[in-house]
Amino acid sequence: MSEAQNKVQIFEPHKSSLPPLRPYLKDFWRRREFATELSKFTDKAEYLDSKLGNVWLVLNPLFLALIYFLLVTIIQGGRGGLGGFTTLCHILIGLFTFYFAQNCILSGAQSITSGGRLILNQAFPRSLLPLSSAISAARQFWPTIPVYISIVVIGKLAIDDTTIPGLTWNYLLVPALLILLAITSFGLALFFATLNVYFRDTTKLLSYIMRIWLYASPVLWQPDMLSGWYRIILYLNPLGPILSANSRIWIDGLTPTLSQAIGCVVWCLISILFGGYFFISRERDFAVRIS
Amino acid sequence: MDISLSQGSAILPSVSLNKSVMPDSLAVKIENLSISYKINVESKKTLKNALMRASRGERVRTKTVEAVKNLTLDIPHGSVLGIVGANGAGKSTLMRSIAGILPPTQGRIGVNGKISTLLALGVGFNKALSGRDNIILGGLASGLSRDEIESQTDAIAEFADLPEGFIDMPVRTYSSGMYSRVAFSVAVNMTPDILLLDEALSAGDAAFKEKSFNKMRQLCEEARTILIVSHALSSINELCDHAIWLHRGQMLASGKPGEITEKYLKFLNVGELPSSYEDL
Repeated sequence: MSEAQNKVQIFEPHKSSLPPLRPYLKDFWRRREFATELSKFTDKAEYLDSKLGNVWLVLNPLFLALIYFLLVTIIQGGRGGLGGFTTLCHILIGLFTFYFAQNCILSGAQSITSGGRLILNQAFPRSLLPLSSAISAARQFWPTIPVYISIVVIGKLAIDDTTIPGLTWNYLLVPALLILLAITSFGLALFFATLNVYFRDTTKLLSYIMRIWLYASPVLWQPDMLSGWYRIILYLNPLGPILSANSRIWIDGLTPTLSQAIGCVVWCLISILFGGYFFISRERDFAVRIS
Repeated sequence: MDISLSQGSAILPSVSLNKSVMPDSLAVKIENLSISYKINVESKKTLKNALMRASRGERVRTKTVEAVKNLTLDIPHGSVLGIVGANGAGKSTLMRSIAGILPPTQGRIGVNGKISTLLALGVGFNKALSGRDNIILGGLASGLSRDEIESQTDAIAEFADLPEGFIDMPVRTYSSGMYSRVAFSVAVNMTPDILLLDEALSAGDAAFKEKSFNKMRQLCEEARTILIVSHALSSINELCDHAIWLHRGQMLASGKPGEITEKYLKFLNVGELPSSYEDL
């Protein structure tokens, strides 16, 4: 048993401000194993009765990417700036990455209201529940990367004139980008999870918001298609700079631009600081709101 | 045993309750505790309703519930405290505030030791998962590490009297008795310093009840503290060495369990408070 569990604990009235952050974060870190295991067990329970199990986690965005590719090709009437295979790759990696953020936000938003009984029985940092959803989203995302790489390798062997880059040093930036995306999505999940405690139809609305968010993100279209003032759309969208930088690495084989890098870091900080404050300052009321 | 109780005393000077004013002999120290919260009178808390209300210029209708009122209570280590009271008396709210789940509105609660809670049977259980998986999750939620809880899984299964092999079966295949016994076993086997049980004494049959009572007596001998909320007054008499009676958030009486349950039972039968409590 750890020392932290044995010390004297004092519970006092609070206003709508943050609890002492150091003990909170210490407890959050000490109990991270709970979030990891909860995520594993939740996934296990969800796919227990499915014969294909978590293969669906890859098949679902893969099929969707093919549908969007057909849609985009038809709408463009074959006049797209990129070759067909490059467009497919752009949609694939964009959609896989967007799905990581979407899963993190959607399941994180529901994590508090669906974990209501646990919240009424145990005292623990409530942010562990959205963290558990974020871990699940990450676990669902990893297998899509080898699938994407396999498709690119097959495509490069089969189609000679594809512009998709081979091995470059820029791929080393992908983990950093994914960490920024995970933190941004976790921050947004904290915000929506809190909102969902106060307004129970938030998640219903969120499913429509995510659809619009997808169309407003550089997933079905390339960032280069925007010019002039329209480029501001990329930076008003919290996921815009990350998805643009992601496409630049995977599709163009280039290092993200400075403005993309700054955009990624700024949105990451805004999201985690604002979402974290909104959540932690209100989480002591969750048990009352949920009961 | 020395449980000191008072009620309605003046608010204490704002001295921070820390280890220096939390005697080592006490497991729980409650000072002038009041808990009230607002409940939304609206049937559905949705954005749609909020926008409709805003468009009509209406404000949200709320009602303030005073669940616990000005309660002061010292609970020494090794004691078993029974809490009785009718529905809505504030018993569960009090337990949740001691567990750190509900924040006080006024006053302070000091807790000296590791808490294990069983505030509703089977809470947090995922019925698609096996008993073993649920035990691990329950242990992790209460702050144990995976290694710590895994080393106790078999002991928990044995204590719960699960038939051979059931520990690895999905919980949805369990009978309601097995389900409650596992939940109870998880709570009492977490080696808590303070065990909070809310309506959890009904788990299992007569044999399991005897076993669980023995386990609780063993915990007390190890100087661990138990707080029990129950409508089973005979169990309160049998297990507890002190009892309190809560009524509409206020503590009406405290004393020996037999005396308290007798007064409470009389109140239940007659439907009126004893004359000495009418002013409360």
